[in-house]
Amino acid sequence: MAMNPNTQMLRSIISELRRASTGSLGDNPLFRYIMGQYRRNQTTQEQICKAREEMQFLANTYLCYLRSSRLQKEISEEFHGKGERTIAETAKMVGFKLPHDPK
Amino acid sequence: MQVYARLSVSNEVSKMFLKTSFCSVGRALWNKSTVLRPQLPLLNQTVRSVATRKRFYRKTGILHSGSNFEITLDQRKLKTPRGNLFLVDSEPLALAVAAEWDAQKENIVQTSMHLSTLCNTVIDNPNNLNKFDIVQYMLNYIDTDCILFQSGDEDDLYKLQVAEWDPIIQWFCDRFRVDLHKTRNIGGPSVKEETKAVLSKYLMSYNFAALNGFVYGVDTLKSVILTCACVEKVISVEKAVLLSRLEEEFQLGYWGRVEWAHDLSQHDLQARLASTALFIHFNSTSNSIQIKNEMTA
Repeated sequence: MAMNPNTQMLRSIISELRRASTGSLGDNPLFRYIMGQYRRNQTTQEQICKAREEMQFLANTYLCYLRSSRLQKEISEEFHGKGERTIAETAKMVGFKLPHDPK
Repeated sequence: MQVYARLSVSNEVSKMFLKTSFCSVGRALWNKSTVLRPQLPLLNQTVRSVATRKRFYRKTGILHSGSNFEITLDQRKLKTPRGNLFLVDSEPLALAVAAEWDAQKENIVQTSMHLSTLCNTVIDNPNNLNKFDIVQYMLNYIDTDCILFQSGDEDDLYKLQVAEWDPIIQWFCDRFRVDLHKTRNIGGPSVKEETKAVLSKYLMSYNFAALNGFVYGVDTLKSVILTCACVEKVISVEKAVLLSRLEEEFQLGYWGRVEWAHDLSQHDLQARLASTALFIHFNSTSNSIQIKNEMTA
């Protein structure tokens, strides 16, 4: 069964929040707030259409914020210069070995 | 500042060398770029304030005080770089800022905390701007709006731009009942005074905080039109960034994608724009709620 897109978005946000936050999610106030918002909007889903669309846009924007921040951090950590390489590393890059290395 | 952050892991000696050389070069550049930053103190101070700090707190939270919200790092209250108390009037915004501080694992990387940056800018107002200055900046920006300049010599790119950008320009014209003309040569598009007057009225309806968000968004996207479309929730953040990087994406099709350049800039822009969209939303909804209450009272 295909998952409701709203539920899917909520799950994505929670998974990003879990990666970002340090403590457990249970006492994260933002997590409780988001869950509260989702529940409240669920009950009034049919009545306030505009609010629901706005909510979807907001949820998507926040998800984008969390995800892009994480990916940007991961990429810059991966490619960040780590200072000078050692002689052995440099030699390995061009396929050489040091004189005392086994052949 | 980002340059400095990138340099900060190299060893001590080269750090000292690079710091001094960057500062002298940076300051020389600084003196020339005076667009929205006329009264900033020496760059040296700015650089020192973003030097890496270790995370010094365990838990982050928010406090409700009057109609405002404060951020707490353990028992301490968060303050702005100028030493003012960090106050916002929207609960979700305060929660998001607290989550941003919570997301700093070992070091506090302030260049990645866009929501905190925006709030700090609004509270401290380091450039002593008012609403009129900001609106004027945006009105001047629309003359060089990136989606009004379309390719004059590359036909494939032009077709793509017509397909992707023109609907947004059309939306802008319909939404504000104005007339905008794009250009295909180096002479800029001429934006009529009436258009600017309409846009100015629209922007003035936002509060000071939201307008600061607008500037951040415009500087990210290089386009007032795209920023308005994103703030009005016509296009998503991802789409707005894609449209802003349209030519880059087009060239990628020929020359290939490099993760540490293209993906990095894409995610950086997306994070910046998403924070802007959230910031404007939270700052303008609380405002409209207040107005409604006043009307019923």
